[in-house]
Amino acid sequence: MLFDYFGGQCPPYAMSDQHPEIDSFEVRVLRQDAPGERSRWERHRVTYERDMNVISALQKIAAQAETVDGQPVAPVCWDSNCLEEVCGACTMLINGRTRQACTALIDRLMEDCPGEIELRPMSKFPVIRDLVVDRTRLFRALTKVKAWVPVDGYLDRGQGPLRSMEEQQQSYPLSECMSCGCCLEACPQYTKIESTQDESESDEDFSARKSATYDSAFVGAHAISQAVLFNTNPIGKFIAGERLDALTGPGGIQMCGNAQNCVAVCPKEIPLTTSIARAGRSTTLHVLKKWFDR
Amino acid sequence: MTDTGPQGSFLVRHDFLIRRLHSLSGLVPVGAYMVVHLLVNSSILASTTIFQDNVDRIHSVGPVALQVIEWVFIFIPILFHAVFGVVIIAGGVPNTGEYRYGSNIRYTLQRATGIIAFFFIAWHLWHMHHYFAPLGGGNFQHQHASSSAAIALSSLPVKIGYAVGVLACCFHLANGLWTMGITWGVWTSPRAQKHATTVCAVFGIGLACLGLSAMSGFGDVDIKAAEEMERLRIQEKKYIEGKEERPTNSRRGVDRDSGG
Amino acid sequence: MPKQRVMVIGGGLAGLAATMKLAELGIDVDLISLTPVKRSHSVCAQGGINSVNARTRQLGDSEDLHLDDTVYGGDFLQHQPPVKEMVYWAPKIIDLMDRLGVTFNRTSEGHLDNRRFGGTLFKRTAFAGATTGQQLLYALDEQVRRWEAEGRVKKFESWNYLGPIIDDAGICRGVVAQDLISMEIRTYPADAVIIATGGCGLLYGRSTMSLVCNGGAVSRTFQAGAKYANAEFIQVHPTAIPGADKLRLMSESARGEGGRVWVPRTPHDERSPREIPESERYYFLEERYPEYGNLVPRDIATREIFNVCVHEGLSVDADRQCVYLDLTHIPREELDRKLGGILSIYEKFQGVDPRDEPMKIFPAVHYSMGGLWVDYERTADGGLNIGSPVNQATNIPRLYAIGECDYQYHGANRLGANSLLSCIFSGLMVAPGIETLLESSDDGTAADQPSSLFEGARRQRQQNFDALLKRPGGGENPYLLHQQLGEVMTRTATVVRFNKDLEQAYATVCDLEQRAAKCSLSDTGNWTNQNVVFTAALIDMFPLAKTLLKGALQRDECRGAHYKPDFAMPGLEATDPAERRRQAEAWCDKFEERNAKWLKSTVAVLDEDGEPQLAYEEVDTSLVPPRPRLYGLVGAEAIEEVWKERVAVN
Ligand SMILES: Cc1cc2nc3c(=O)[nH]c(=O)nc-3n(C[C@H](O)[C@H](O)[C@H](O)COP(=O)(O)OP(=O)(O)OC[C@H]3O[C@@H](n4cnc5c(N)ncnc54)[C@H](O)[C@@H]3O)c2cc1C
Ligand code: SF4
Ligand code: SF4
Ligand code: FES
Repeated sequence: MLFDYFGGQCPPYAMSDQHPEIDSFEVRVLRQDAPGERSRWERHRVTYERDMNVISALQKIAAQAETVDGQPVAPVCWDSNCLEEVCGACTMLINGRTRQACTALIDRLMEDCPGEIELRPMSKFPVIRDLVVDRTRLFRALTKVKAWVPVDGYLDRGQGPLRSMEEQQQSYPLSECMSCGCCLEACPQYTKIESTQDESESDEDFSARKSATYDSAFVGAHAISQAVLFNTNPIGKFIAGERLDALTGPGGIQMCGNAQNCVAVCPKEIPLTTSIARAGRSTTLHVLKKWFDR
Repeated sequence: MTDTGPQGSFLVRHDFLIRRLHSLSGLVPVGAYMVVHLLVNSSILASTTIFQDNVDRIHSVGPVALQVIEWVFIFIPILFHAVFGVVIIAGGVPNTGEYRYGSNIRYTLQRATGIIAFFFIAWHLWHMHHYFAPLGGGNFQHQHASSSAAIALSSLPVKIGYAVGVLACCFHLANGLWTMGITWGVWTSPRAQKHATTVCAVFGIGLACLGLSAMSGFGDVDIKAAEEMERLRIQEKKYIEGKEERPTNSRRGVDRDSGG
Repeated sequence: MPKQRVMVIGGGLAGLAATMKLAELGIDVDLISLTPVKRSHSVCAQGGINSVNARTRQLGDSEDLHLDDTVYGGDFLQHQPPVKEMVYWAPKIIDLMDRLGVTFNRTSEGHLDNRRFGGTLFKRTAFAGATTGQQLLYALDEQVRRWEAEGRVKKFESWNYLGPIIDDAGICRGVVAQDLISMEIRTYPADAVIIATGGCGLLYGRSTMSLVCNGGAVSRTFQAGAKYANAEFIQVHPTAIPGADKLRLMSESARGEGGRVWVPRTPHDERSPREIPESERYYFLEERYPEYGNLVPRDIATREIFNVCVHEGLSVDADRQCVYLDLTHIPREELDRKLGGILSIYEKFQGVDPRDEPMKIFPAVHYSMGGLWVDYERTADGGLNIGSPVNQATNIPRLYAIGECDYQYHGANRLGANSLLSCIFSGLMVAPGIETLLESSDDGTAADQPSSLFEGARRQRQQNFDALLKRPGGGENPYLLHQQLGEVMTRTATVVRFNKDLEQAYATVCDLEQRAAKCSLSDTGNWTNQNVVFTAALIDMFPLAKTLLKGALQRDECRGAHYKPDFAMPGLEATDPAERRRQAEAWCDKFEERNAKWLKSTVAVLDEDGEPQLAYEEVDTSLVPPRPRLYGLVGAEAIEEVWKERVAVN
């Protein structure tokens, strides 16, 4: 692209066999005890080992439970599960960049910025504690765009429709979205929503209110891409209109400002902006068609 | 609407349509007008006479019609585009500091140039449009197109202001065209988007050259000669008109007042 | 009157399949999961899912052969009727998943493409790139989200299951669970509870499994009186990428697509692998198992790699154990299309492109064949009576188990790509049985049970939790204890097992258990306290670890993944035909004897003191009679001949 890549960031997973000559490094973590509390920086020192990643550094921090100056502290909280970048749990801001902690190798980070690593929670989602955030909104968007195939039921109906290799190769990348939220974190159009429960409000009422708020805010690139995935599925497209209704409703695709950060940060390299453009086309046609069909 | 989400205000419910209109209004009529405007202006490079011809051709529709055209096709769309643009800008949080990708920088520039363009156009109107003559602005007189423009543009601060404004508008239009192609689904694949980037860049640069060269054209105008040419033309026109109509034509009266 | 509800614990493939099927049957479901269900461990499965398909059928394949491969691969330790039912459902399950939108790879005509996995001669495995588990899980997650939108399913994500609620009559009436964010402990009445919480790889510290696979949920159910079976059967996957926090799997599909395993014939050859000529490479699997080659069943591949490195000293690196897994002879484009996902994992974590350079791999703990003991109802023709409430039921009434956490389908060793199948199958199949259960119950719904039952259960869990939080300081560090547990387990209870090691390990684990009781917490707060959750899970690992070690210690034989050199049955040595024949007879005698004693499931219960007590239970082998598993054994033909004659006589 003409103006693309102004530098500033290291390309992810840049390769090099050089192991930096260090025996320990410092991790600065932005901590927050609970929603609504003030956040604060805390520094930890971690001994270096071969093949470490940010998760193993956090594991060591948890085991130590002590800051750089020997203060005993509660272990830092974070989310993770698969440790191989398929579950999407461990997204955080590492040296300012949104990415998975499990594939953030210490060796590479040290090349980037020797001796120090900075960890912050994602900024577009409410912090629950430390690096753990509440990404309900991200999943809620999948409900909003009806990201599923509306089959009749689960009894045997013989094989599904034939699909060409080419179709498969187009859909497969979209189906790899692991709901990690990087695309939302980096999107300038996706802004944080944090609601607090009123005293008088029941849990059900609160979650209904939250869902309603989420539904009227920007759905995000991942959901647009899922809508495209299911609108191109031979059975999924039977309710394509409903998905396009969702994408043209409040918080729909019109909110996208084409900054294209989403596609640049997506760890699964999902062609999000292609999906956005395809959805742009079909929503336009859909709205025109609805206009004339009135 | 779908069964999802609450029924918000009119603006919320029709957000999609409004934004599509916003996108469209940027291209037609606003963008298209800007292209025509710069083309006309750059005809100053050919000669002051040709420029005056072009201006006269525009004004030949008559002052009432011209005002209607101005309001319907220029002022209202620009105002809509600007006001809603501000709403859009308010809804985003640029993050070029963290994510220094080309397209993200363009996203932020699009907003910055939008704001610059907004103020520039407001100032430009005040500076040139006859509505503001009583307030000390409105320097452009269509019957003295070349000379009045050249005089108005002669000081250095004004030149700089115009250069910045014109460049901002050009970027905003060219980049807007590019995002529009995605928004409306014209270029979808990464390859197509890449090609579109090139095309839009060429378009934007071309437009900027046009605008800047028009400015330099006004800078080069020999004001004395231009005034002489304009005076002769006005006399000639009066003479021709005088043969056909009564000299105290109300239309001319309006023109003179407003041009004065 | 409140409606009946079913509680599903765990939203991996099994739990989601059950939830979606129950919802279709009109039953209201609550679903509790530690992680958002879309992040369940099932996403890690790479290779694919097995079923007989139109193509293999024409090459002579059939459901019965799939059954045969599965039970032969599992060394006959599984009851055969459930396996039979599963393999007969398999093609339908693939069709269903296809309709649900799974982006399976296609042939040029648009049919599903298939690859070959270990332990079979047919290309039975359907796959979606190298992320089949992820794609399957997402398809089910989407369906469950659809039911959630319709109000039939309620999800409770970030909730930890603490145990079943069992009334005085011994019937399960619901569960107690804890919110991992607010730490609130709550009870959920349920008319049936399904445990679908996956494997317990964390017993070994590092494994190929995800961090939530700590076995806590199963252990709590076990401690509440459920039986646990075949704990000693732990699959060690032959090919994993060594790592500091996790041993990341290199899927069997790498070999399925033609990957070759080798070591340089010269120990620790310094040259780069590409400079080593063919003649100096030792393709040990291909040489020793000409028929299956690199696709021998997992237990065998694992043992061979282990042997080559540990006993023959042929490890590629001098300072750590590993062998080459080589894909460099396959065109890049093909690799990208079929294996892109797993190759990028290697690239991300090792910084080396496996398309250019052979990968370095070593075995790692991967799967627990054992699990909660469950029942089934057999039909006359050897299948299952679908709709029977007995299917997948544990010994506690109204408590069920499905997926990796049951013990039902894989015997002593699981075949690759059979687990995704068993998870989805058990999930779909348990639903109609529960429907029958709910229809036939006449003692009111769980919610009608006296509130004292639930309040009592809640109070007890709350007390346990508070006590754990208020442990006096200065004690043990739970993270370090976990590390030590992992080290003992990995050293003694993986590929090769010796009784004296196992005895020692048992003692060590008991000691660690005592020390774990003295863990002190570095976080004593009541908000998103991961420290206390980890410690609780650690404490719950010990009953399972002890059961596993005890089972391994007592089982004096080799079967599937359980290998004790002291009890191995070596091949035939004689070359003279008559002597060879005699040896083969003796071999078969011993085999029969061994089966008579050990072809039995180990079934454990915990006694009052928390010690596992083992019993042995007959296995239903009525469909495929057990036969010697002879992969690569010297004299296999002679043994096979004798064996065939014996079978013919009977
Ligand atoms: C790396 C890897 C690759 C594999 N590849 C293949 C393959 O190619 N083919 C194949 O057939 N099999 C494969 N397997 C095996 C297969 O993936 C698993 O056996 C299967 O996914 C298990 O599914 P499950 O539904 O039983 O459990 P899981 O997917 O593990 O889900 C468990 C669920 O239980 C929840 N849970 C756990 N504990 C609690 C608790 N205390 N409270 C509440 N909820 C809880 C979790 O949140 C999760 O939702 C692979 C396994 C691994 C490790
Ligand atoms: S292209 Fe749209 S969705 Fe993607 S980062 Fe930009 S504004 Fe956000
Ligand atoms: S689209 Fe990419 S960045 Fe966004 S949630 Fe999915 S995987 Fe993550
Ligand atoms: S832990 Fe699953 S993506 Fe990092």
